[in-house]
Amino acid sequence: MLQVENLVAGYGKVKVLHAISLHVPEGSLVTLIGSNGAGKTTTLRALSGMIRPDAGTIRIAGVDITGLPSHEITRHGLAHSPEGRRVFPVLSVEDNLLMGAFTRLTGSRPRGDVAGDLARMFELFPRLAERRAQQAGTLSGGEQQMLAMARALMLSPKVLLLDEPSMGLAPKLVEEVFATIARLKALRVTMLLVEQFAAAALEVADFAYVLENGRLAASGPAETLKHDPAVRAAYLGAAH
Amino acid sequence: MDFLILAQLVVSGIAVGMIYGVIAFGYQLTFATSKTLNFGQGEALMLSSLVGLTVVQFTGYWIMLPIVLAFGMVQGAVVERLGVRQAIKTKSESGWIMATIALGIIFKNLAENIWGRDALKFPSPLPEAPIGLMGVNILPMEIVIVLGALAMMLAVETFNRRSIFGKAVVATANDREAAGLMGINTSLVITFSYALSSMTAAFAGVLIAPVTLTGASMGGALGLKAFAVAIIGGLSSGMGVIVGGLILGITETLTGFYLSTGYKDVPGLVLLLLVLSFKPSGLFGRSAIKKV
Ligand SMILES: Nc1ncnc2c1ncn2[C@@H]1O[C@H](COP(=O)(O)OP(=O)(O)O)[C@@H](O)[C@H]1O
Ligand SMILES: [Mg+2]
Repeated sequence: MLQVENLVAGYGKVKVLHAISLHVPEGSLVTLIGSNGAGKTTTLRALSGMIRPDAGTIRIAGVDITGLPSHEITRHGLAHSPEGRRVFPVLSVEDNLLMGAFTRLTGSRPRGDVAGDLARMFELFPRLAERRAQQAGTLSGGEQQMLAMARALMLSPKVLLLDEPSMGLAPKLVEEVFATIARLKALRVTMLLVEQFAAAALEVADFAYVLENGRLAASGPAETLKHDPAVRAAYLGAAH
Repeated sequence: MDFLILAQLVVSGIAVGMIYGVIAFGYQLTFATSKTLNFGQGEALMLSSLVGLTVVQFTGYWIMLPIVLAFGMVQGAVVERLGVRQAIKTKSESGWIMATIALGIIFKNLAENIWGRDALKFPSPLPEAPIGLMGVNILPMEIVIVLGALAMMLAVETFNRRSIFGKAVVATANDREAAGLMGINTSLVITFSYALSSMTAAFAGVLIAPVTLTGASMGGALGLKAFAVAIIGGLSSGMGVIVGGLILGITETLTGFYLSTGYKDVPGLVLLLLVLSFKPSGLFGRSAIKKV
């Protein structure tokens, strides 16, 4: 579904990613783990057009989207729940969700059942239902994370990118976020999950890539990597 | 102090103040989405008002209005495309300042060549005899100015709150990158906000022209005073510009009468300097809700 070949990207003259190749098959949950500063966020930013890749190709369902601006990439069905949540603080919870469906409401993606999807989001995230008329800026961190994920899902995306949904949340909320991700997986939402919290990510994912200093250091089925001694030492040892 | 004279001055000040408010509202529109301002806003007003003067000969006042509003939108879009877009792209801190000033000067020269340098009379759609109301004289056009200005701001606010495109404008103002992730073409939103901003200026221009006069030199002072109002009211505080406009409009007419018309422009500028030194976010500027 999402195919990335030899992606090179960075900020101006500083190259962060050095020829990364990734593959996210339809209906699967792939995770990209790595320590702080490895280039995980940069990878997702390059995929969704927030920064322009310097080289390589990115395909969604076979369509080449390399170098397109982010609003056009979204129209191809790629949703990105960015690092730091980035909800629209002045808009209400419901309007944030409608913004997620902007392309569907304005005809650049098939409309489908927006009202139905909105209702499903409120089922999936009951806390958002209680706060639907509230300004998003007044939500707690955990609620904002739920909103960011729900907003991305409102695209009815072909692929969903999640950047550190557990960042800065209390342990109980982290658990809740991972439970939600597991539910989305059961619904066969195609996802690329970026996490520093490697143990939990490997627990829920089908396949994993390990990023080190902008290069892929390892990859394989999550079940295998979980037991890989090098991965355990570098990413799981300290955590557990 | 004669109370009736005071009331009369306040009433006249309100109409001028609302005009300042509408133009200042236009400054807010582009600042919200792009953190840039059209320093040629006064010239946009002037140009549209003169276009209105030509059109009104053929169509009458009320049919001229939508035509001039459309012209204003196109003019604003042109300013954004030529003067602002490149500066935003290269994250230039000051490119847009020079470019919008330069475009303003070009528009002024253009107007001088087409309509001349003299002040011109703009036909009023309503009787020009004042209505007496409890001893205070009010021009019918002054009532239209106040109602029209409020209606314009209300229309834009309603659009932003209710329509999906308006919400996309608010989203872009909140977080441009995140808005892009929603599939919103944020460059287009910024062009649109310039179009809307010049449209409000055009509206202000054809509202005030029948009361004052029009002409190639009408823009500069209006643009500058409205800028003062935008700073006084707060560049991001919605309705603060109405209060700011009224404060300036009324102090101006009062100064003009009780001191001397020679000092008419001083209070606004003094107020601007005071606000800039003591409360740069504007009298009514709240700090925006913090992003988490
Ligand atoms: N806006 C930016 N400008 C310049 N360098 C950046 C920027 N954002 C991140 N970097 C650098 O890119 C590298 C990778 O960062 P990032 O992708 O955020 O890592 P991760 O998400 O894996 O923690 C880091 O060295 C970081 O300093
Ligand atoms: Mg990161």
